[in-house]
Amino acid sequence: MTNRMSNSHIAYLLLRTSLRHWRHSWLSYLTLVGIIALGVGAFNGIRQASRAAAANFGLFNEAVSGKSDFILQGIAGQPLSHKQLHSLVPLTHMQDWHLLPVIEGNATYVHPESSDLIPLQIIGLDLIALGNLPLFNELGLSFSSSQSTDSDKWYQWLQADSGIWVTHALYQRLQYQSGQQLPLMAGGTLQSMRIAGQLGDANSDLPDDLIIADIRTVQNFLGREQAFDRIEILLADRSLAADPKAFKVFEQRLRQQLPSGVELQAATDRLANRASMTAAFRLNLSILSLIALLVGAYLILQALDASIVRRREELATLRSLGVGAGTLFAMAMLESGLMGLLGSFLGLGLGQLLASVAVHGLSDTINTLYFATAAQAIELQGSDVWIALSLGLGFSLMAGLLPARDAMLTPPAQILARGDWSPGFTWLRSARFSLSLFGLGLLCLLLPPLQIEGGAKMALGGFLAAGLWISSLALLSGQFLVLLARTMQKLASHPVWRMAMSRLADGSSRHRLALAGLVVAVGMVTGMLQLVGSFRGTIQNWFEVRFEADLYISERGAQGAGSNSGIRPEVLQAIESLPELEFADTLHMARVQAPLGVTQLIGADFFFWQHQKSQIWLQAPGRLVPVAGAQPALVSESFARRFDCLQGGVIALQTASGSQKITAIGIFADYGSEFGSVVIDLPVWKTWTLQDRALNTSLYLKPGLDSRLLRDRLRLQFPALDIRNNHELRAYALSIFEQTFQVTRALNVIGLFVACVGLLLGLIALFEECQMTWRTLAFIGFSRREIIWVGALEGAVLSLVAWLSGTILGLLLGWLLLACINVQSFGWTLIWHLPAWQLLLFGLGLILMGLACGLVAALRVSKRLEV
Amino acid sequence: MRSAPLLSLESVTKYYGDLPVLRQVALQLHAGERVALTGPSGSGKSTLLNCILGIEAIEQGSIALEGVALHGLSNKARDRVRRLEMGSIFQKFHLLPTLSAYENVELVGRLVGMAASDCRERAEALLATVGLSHRLKHRPSELSGGEQQRVAIARAVMHRPKLLLADEPTGSLDSENRQAVLDLLEALSDRYEIALIMVTHDGATTRICDRCLKMQDGAVSAD
Repeated sequence: MTNRMSNSHIAYLLLRTSLRHWRHSWLSYLTLVGIIALGVGAFNGIRQASRAAAANFGLFNEAVSGKSDFILQGIAGQPLSHKQLHSLVPLTHMQDWHLLPVIEGNATYVHPESSDLIPLQIIGLDLIALGNLPLFNELGLSFSSSQSTDSDKWYQWLQADSGIWVTHALYQRLQYQSGQQLPLMAGGTLQSMRIAGQLGDANSDLPDDLIIADIRTVQNFLGREQAFDRIEILLADRSLAADPKAFKVFEQRLRQQLPSGVELQAATDRLANRASMTAAFRLNLSILSLIALLVGAYLILQALDASIVRRREELATLRSLGVGAGTLFAMAMLESGLMGLLGSFLGLGLGQLLASVAVHGLSDTINTLYFATAAQAIELQGSDVWIALSLGLGFSLMAGLLPARDAMLTPPAQILARGDWSPGFTWLRSARFSLSLFGLGLLCLLLPPLQIEGGAKMALGGFLAAGLWISSLALLSGQFLVLLARTMQKLASHPVWRMAMSRLADGSSRHRLALAGLVVAVGMVTGMLQLVGSFRGTIQNWFEVRFEADLYISERGAQGAGSNSGIRPEVLQAIESLPELEFADTLHMARVQAPLGVTQLIGADFFFWQHQKSQIWLQAPGRLVPVAGAQPALVSESFARRFDCLQGGVIALQTASGSQKITAIGIFADYGSEFGSVVIDLPVWKTWTLQDRALNTSLYLKPGLDSRLLRDRLRLQFPALDIRNNHELRAYALSIFEQTFQVTRALNVIGLFVACVGLLLGLIALFEECQMTWRTLAFIGFSRREIIWVGALEGAVLSLVAWLSGTILGLLLGWLLLACINVQSFGWTLIWHLPAWQLLLFGLGLILMGLACGLVAALRVSKRLEV
Repeated sequence: MRSAPLLSLESVTKYYGDLPVLRQVALQLHAGERVALTGPSGSGKSTLLNCILGIEAIEQGSIALEGVALHGLSNKARDRVRRLEMGSIFQKFHLLPTLSAYENVELVGRLVGMAASDCRERAEALLATVGLSHRLKHRPSELSGGEQQRVAIARAVMHRPKLLLADEPTGSLDSENRQAVLDLLEALSDRYEIALIMVTHDGATTRICDRCLKMQDGAVSAD
């Protein structure tokens, strides 16, 4: 016989006891495994989807040309000028690399039946150079027309005018034949492009939104004659590309021949730079999906705890048979771990599924907010598996810790003799501990924001304070429960009330734990309601002030930061010369490099912006002192906070024409971009950026004219333009805002649902643990109905206290979100709005829900009473 | 000359808060000896049993099994002694509800590290001894009170403990089953030379015991 309990004993006991319970209550355990799977799936799904959505940004040509080794482009990713291109000619004399000039842009196809706008990517390439690239040939692609299989005539496209090649997937999607004219919009014009052929076949893995054409064709189509976005460089010897030393040598050789204003980047660096632009976006998504895992962990904690309570007698018997406390702890942890492992594996599959659903939505968001991108196929990487396993296991073990401790502390003598026992977590009861956490949170607010990659900032102190205040209020709510229950106990005369209040006044750890979960959920919901309400109120106010023009015009279809076509000069000129017009506020936008990241440089009528345009000013023009030698500029609040010029000063910007200095003379509210924007006078903008393409224009009509009539006329005249009056634009902008907060609302619902299930499980565990009390109540004459009402009242009063404490927590969180986290992370000042009626209705619903949970839990226990 | 006592209690004292529940209890028990512990409710009988079993602590005195002071041992070591050297029977049986009668008995053999084949052989033999060969695969919920207690007895002696502690083993049984259980305890104690301490309220059950001790207000006296 052995003297010590071995691992095989633990496994044996697990098999014979815990897993037997799994078999008997398979549905409950399947639900728990499902919750972990959902949490892991949500995290991994969002991770994979955002990776796939952001993977292809800007490099659409890679699908046919292969991954480049280097990229040549203007400062801050701006296009190359014709002059710069000429100075790069010596590079073409080398045999060591292939050069592939690229121009790319957005095209929009209007579906003839549904009128849906289908955004497409059009890439202009040197087709002869492309035809020589290894990948192009490996993929078996060619530019021969599908109507002609004559290999000697593969170059027929040379004579083709406006000939485009579409991928097989797009060919199938649009249902057009080779030789047909495809109507496409870009730059505010509608043009017909002849489909010269299709690239690849059903087996080719090419995107379904890609159009390839010769450089000149695309330049003409986009109205960007002689323009190039970049030059891709692929090393001819692929083995050298994989050798870091050789790669470095090539990089040095290339750098030696670069003219001024041209930047060389390793393709991997560009990928990293672009990834850094979305770092904050991805961080927010990760935090949101982690919340799903956290609430899942809370549910598991409650469910495992309830399960331990139900098995208390079994655990006590095992202890009396000589099974050690440590063994019971190990068994409980192993059980949690097993659940985590199963949940993680299921979560991996679920994550793939979620990712494939979410990828297009995320891709659209990145297109709108950050840069042009195309979704890549969802790919499960080794790191995904490790992260899923670590998260699933980590969270389930964390959730299993308290129940395992509970199992370990099971006192056999007491359980075997009396059948009930309630452990105490003394730290749950310490007011001093709770208040210390609150104080620590206050101190955290003194921490400066954390600078993260891409120039974004994270409100580290704010997030820490939120975490500490949530913990503090969740724990303090227990004290509040005891206080309130004692008062109500004194006031109550009915035995059911007195009984329920006496149990709450006892303030058991389990009561406090169930309450804490609910307080956290209520606090988060209340905080989010304020955030969304305040955001909506502020944005509406901003729209009222900002959208004062009569008509707003932009390129149709390709909206957002991903659009780089803008409005063609001839189209803009036609609009600006309309006789009905009093003034056109035309915006020109380019990305420039500021000290800590990319920002937007806007060219506009500076006098109008400074003196006439309606704005919400944080610092009205003239209040900040300009610095001599720098260009006067109006900056957005995000820019001022991001680059620390709230009190004015000089900021250097890297533009296509070199380093330029701006000095802030006014700060305006802007909720359109977290990267910030700088407005300068248009002529200066053109000199700095070497561009003249307008992004959009706002029209102010002469007094007395009907904007709707002009809108309708312009829509007919310019079908490729998006034309709205200010009511339509407000409604559209508000709908985008509402869409942005869908995730928040979904998370609120999930959080509340989990908290309610947590309360229900907590109450079941509580009532199971007090079998003796219920029996005693039955013996002394309580009817079954009265016993059930005791439980229902416990649930209702717990919810009442959760609502009161949670609302206090929510108000604090709301303040944190508005005054600290939002300001530091996005640089936006929001006007506080308290949705009082919503909060009152929410409280009422919560109390009713608590009553229902108490009823259900008590009903379950009372069935076993012989009353 | 009698051999050294198997179990030796000296001045065992225990309090619940300020209330003394065991006062200077002294007791010696030899291998194979059977002792009945009687006394009114609240006199400390079950507490004394729990202290010997090592699942409740004592404030003063010592409890030694084969000369080893139990309360000087670490928790782990005490668990080990309980697992290897002691068996316990309760008034409410406390069988594991998810296991069959056979598995409940076999479990103890596995816990002490017996080979699987030995476990099977011994568990089946013991269940045959207690008259439950036909109930091997039944769960506790499918057995009568008398049958459950017989399974509990088989479980308690599965690993041939030196000391068996029974807390009112017949308390929940009718007279017929009570007789059967007592006969079994006597037979098994004789066959494997197991010492027995039995807490009981029922004077008639003391017939299988060599000695009868009475507890009053936490103190032990000979009957």
